[in-house]
Parts: sequence; C-alpha cells; structure tokens
Amino acid sequence: MAHVPTATAPDGAPYDEEALAIHAREMDFCWDDVPLHYIPGRMVATHVYNCMHLLLPEGEKAMSAALAQALPLIDDPRLAEEVVGFIGQEATHADSHGGMLERLVDLGLDARPVLRRLDKLISVIMADYGGHRIRHHLLCERLALFSALEHFTAVWGKFFLESEGLAESGMHPMVLDLLKWHGAEEVEHRSVVFDAFQYVDGSYARRVRMGVLGSLALAAAGFMTLGYLVAKDPERTRTRNPWKRYVAPVLEFLRATRDRVIPNTLGFLTEIPVYARRDFHPSQLDGMDLAVRYLAQAPIRHHGDRAA
Amino acid sequence: MTSSTDRTSDRTSDPATDLLIAAYRGYLRVFAQGRLANHLSPAAPVRRAGFDIDVTVVDRTLVAEDVVSITLARPDGTALPAWTPGAHLDVFLPSGLQRQYSLCGDPADRSSYRIAVRRVAGGSGSHEVHDQLEVGDPLTVRGPRNAFLLVPERSYLFVAAGIGITPILPMVTRAEASGAAWRLVYLGRSRATMPFLDDLELYGDRVVVRTDDEHGVPSAEGVLALGRTGEAPLPPAVYLCGPPPLIDAARTLVRPLAPHSRLFSERFSAPPVRGGEPFSVTLARSGRLVQVAEDESLLTVLRREVPGVAYSCQQGFCGTCKVRVLSGEIDHRDKLLLPAEREELLLACSSRGRGPLVLDL
Repeated sequence: MAHVPTATAPDGAPYDEEALAIHAREMDFCWDDVPLHYIPGRMVATHVYNCMHLLLPEGEKAMSAALAQALPLIDDPRLAEEVVGFIGQEATHADSHGGMLERLVDLGLDARPVLRRLDKLISVIMADYGGHRIRHHLLCERLALFSALEHFTAVWGKFFLESEGLAESGMHPMVLDLLKWHGAEEVEHRSVVFDAFQYVDGSYARRVRMGVLGSLALAAAGFMTLGYLVAKDPERTRTRNPWKRYVAPVLEFLRATRDRVIPNTLGFLTEIPVYARRDFHPSQLDGMDLAVRYLAQAPIRHHGDRAA
Repeated sequence: MTSSTDRTSDRTSDPATDLLIAAYRGYLRVFAQGRLANHLSPAAPVRRAGFDIDVTVVDRTLVAEDVVSITLARPDGTALPAWTPGAHLDVFLPSGLQRQYSLCGDPADRSSYRIAVRRVAGGSGSHEVHDQLEVGDPLTVRGPRNAFLLVPERSYLFVAAGIGITPILPMVTRAEASGAAWRLVYLGRSRATMPFLDDLELYGDRVVVRTDDEHGVPSAEGVLALGRTGEAPLPPAVYLCGPPPLIDAARTLVRPLAPHSRLFSERFSAPPVRGGEPFSVTLARSGRLVQVAEDESLLTVLRREVPGVAYSCQQGFCGTCKVRVLSGEIDHRDKLLLPAEREELLLACSSRGRGPLVLDL
C-alpha cells in the first residue's frame, strides 16, 4: 500500500501519518475534435457525462468559494494547506469541464436553461445573511453539503479510474482523460472537505442530515438535467412513439449501467449508510494507488511544455 | 451564468427547481436561522495537531563530498509520524530559512528522521545546514508530506541523479522488501560526490553507477538503456529524481518507447523558465531597480538582490515566496494563490511581470 489511510481520529489527536501533497496540475486538453456523442452508440450515457460538464464548472467554483470562507477559521497548517490545494484543483476542474461545455454548446446543445436553474440553486446555497451565529450555521451547512457531494465525486472518481466498461466504451480519449484526471484528483483530495467540516463544525447530526439530503438533491438535480439533455438532444430524431421517446432511453440507461459505462446510480441510496456511519472517514475508500498511477501518465502540462 | 439573450426560458416556470429551492430555504430556516439551530447541530469539532514538530539534531555525518546527513528526533525520543518512501519534510532553519528535504532513512524507524543535504553554490539553506547545524541543535520541521508516492508494482526502474538519491533510497529498500524486481541507475559527477554508495553495494549489479568523470555526461536515452536488461521492455514504473532537463528528456522518451510504463518524477530544483519576457522590477523599500532576464525567474533575481528572501519549493506549490505587488501587471503562472490574493500577490518562483513591477520588498 503506497499510502496508509488515516483512521478516524479523536479531537486533538496529533497526526501520526504523513500528509499527501495536494497540488493543482495544469492540463493540456483540446476539445476541437470531440463529437456530440462522444461515446459511440450511447447517447444516454454521453448525456450522463454531459450532466457533469454542465453542473461541475459552477458547482466546483461554489465549493472552492465555501472552502475559501472556511480557511480563515482553520488554524491547523496541515489542513490549511490541503484546503488551499483543494481550491486550486477544483478551479482547474471547473475550467476544464467549462472548456468541454463550450464545445458542446458549439455542437448545438442548449445548456442555458440548466445553467440558469443551477445558478439559482447555487445562489441560495451560497447566500449569507443574518448575524454572526446564523452566518456560521450557514457556512457549516454548506460545508456539510459539499462534504457529502465530495463523497460521491470520490466514489465516481474511483469508478472512472477502474471501470473497464468505461475504458472500452470507445469514449473519445480526450473526454476519458478529463474524467480520469478529474477522478484521480477527487480520490486524491477526497478527505479535504470532510476534514474541513469536521474541523469547523463536526456535528454528527448535521453530517447525517446533509448526507441524506445532499444525496437526494444531487440525484434529483442529476436526473432532471439528464432528462432535459436527452429530450433536447440535437441529433435525436423527433418521434411521437412513446416507446422510442420514453422507454428506449431508460433501457439504454440501464444497459450503460450494466456494462459499467456509467456509475451505478443506486449509489445515491447505497452510499448514504456508508457516509452516515459514525466512524466514517473518506480515507477508508481505497483507490489512491489507481489515482497515483493514472496521474503519472495523464496529459499534464509539464513545466517544460509551457512554451508549446 | 444567466444569459440575457434568451428571455423565453426565463419565463418558463420550472417547478422542480423551485421546489428544491423552497425545500432548501425551509431547511435553512430551521437548521441555520431557527432558535434551536445550536441544539439541532451540536458542534463537535475534530481538530488535529502536530504538523509542526520540534526536533533535535541527534546525528550529523558527512556521507560524501559536500553531502551531510542529518538525523532528527524528538527531544523526548517519542514516535514521529509515519512516512512512506518519497516523503519530504519542511525544515525551518534557525536563521528563519525554510527548505524541503526528502526523507532518506528507514520508514520503519519511527524514532528518527534522516535527511541528506548537498552544499549548493549560492544555496544559503544548504550552507547553513553544513556550516552551522550541530548535534543537539533544536529545529522545527513540518510534515512529513508525500508528493512522490511509490505505487506497488512487480518491477521498477529507479533513476537518481546526485542528491536525487535521497527519496529513491527508501524506495529501493521497499521494492526489495516487497519482492519486486528492480534496477537503480545512479548518476553523479564522481563517486566521491555520491552518498550511500556503500549502502547500495549489497545489491550488486542491480545498481548501475555512472559518473560523469568516468563515463561522460549521460543522455536520457543512455540512462533508460542502462535500466533495461537486453531487449526487455521498461518496467511498468520508472521513478526518477534529478534535475529538470533529465526529467523532461526522459518524459518525452518514455511515452513512445514504452507506452505502458509510467514515469514518476520529482525535481529538486526550479524548472526552467519557458516563454518568458524580460521585465524590470522596482524594490520599493530600497528604491532599487533590477532587471529579470527572459530565462530567469523573478525569485532568482530576488535571491541575488535581497538577502534572506523567503522561498522553498521553487515550483509554485508551497507559497513561501509570496510577494506583495504595489503596482504593475502580473503574469500569474501558479495554481496556488486564491483568486482574491491574485490582485496584489504573486509567487516569485513562477510568476512574472507583463511590463515593470513594483514590489513591496
């Protein structure tokens, strides 16, 4: 085992294991030759990933902003540097998915209604009001929510790295690299938001509540977006046949799940009891070796390539 | 993200989103704004400690020409945080300088940390370690931290150049203990300048030593060829610690040569400046005007001009070399600073000026 996971530790316990350095990496992505359906023959699965390109740029920016709000409260230099590294990684993720999103818009995907809804939702999540006590509770709720969401990104990140079904799906290699790189960094920084929440608040009731509500809200937002994207797919033949219109996409979704081209969305339910365990810590999820191996060969822009 | 060009969808009601928002607002009314908020979410913070550790120098040995090995332990001898091969420490020297050094001891020994430091021309940190640090001196270290993890594989090629042997040495020990096949190519100017040659002797011909004075300066092709047995492919993991040009050359070679091999690397000095334009810098506190050439970093110039200027990793990761900019347009080339900081701070090791800068130095 290259990296020993940190077990749940009591308050005040000194660190007894090394830290993992968390740095943002600059990536060399180019979306120019990515087609609209970048997983051949799998329109619905493509849109599952499009949900990420739509929701992640703004979602990750909000997450970075919440962590930046928490940073002044964190007096532990180890957690503080992990939070700074996390913010940098999330900013590059947001940029990269944003570039992919621009490509999809160029190809005729109308993302605006989804982005407007997301914008409304995020402005409610990020709103600060009231006195000091209320503001602190709002920040804690935000951190609890993002900690729950980060659990899913880590679980999916591991899936992107290890799923043979996804690797062999014929997905455009640039998009596959985007997912794997993003997934690897999600695995790498999986503990940061959880630890920041534990540091600032640590309320178990709040963690469980947001674990449940966050999972369900993410599932709702995801499926709503997926439904919209499938319905508005620019290359889909318009039909009134209810079988082709409603049942066929559902079957395609189930096939993509069975073939492990997309993560199993039952995870929205099955991960809740995992996350709600009192002694849960994100480091209990393995996959760090997969992440480190992938990052060694990812299309990272190295310093020497800067002029290129 | 709201676009003003499309008004129609603005009017389209979206009951699902509105419901989600209303539910969340209701939730916050109870759990954030409500009277009982404190009781509904009883705070139970978990705060860890001990990233900064007070240690004492317990041993100091010259292990090669200009390389000193320093062993550190807690004053009371209690266990230090565990580490794995590839980990490093931030060392805060008595003068206030901060430097990063790889751990090169035995990870199983929890009572001490060992680092090895080469005296570098013009390196104030390495000079302080060599000339001033004595057994019994107190020091503060931060870490350990790992940015160079060893992943389990069945075979490895390790390449160490000079003092780059420090993270590689524990990797070799770990690979050997795990039963993996491995080979080490160890490069240096001359045998006298290369630490730990004696320790490596027991591995026989699995350690290939190449010195500039006997064999000439090696090329990256030559190094990779030395790491292969005959026509055998490169092992799945190549771990390389050395100067940036060697890493860059190896990286461009490994991908076409061995698409299934992964190159893991750590540099121990600043990467070369690419695509830089010259610019001038005014140091506001002294009023001095200095020039930064296209191929040197701002930090290089500051180190020349401002004694004791703070820096550590030189790669845009640690943030030690943050400098306040009083005026001028900044070409930010790091990924570390927060957006709010970018208005008035820059990292001297990576970022540059687009035209003249005035710095608070």
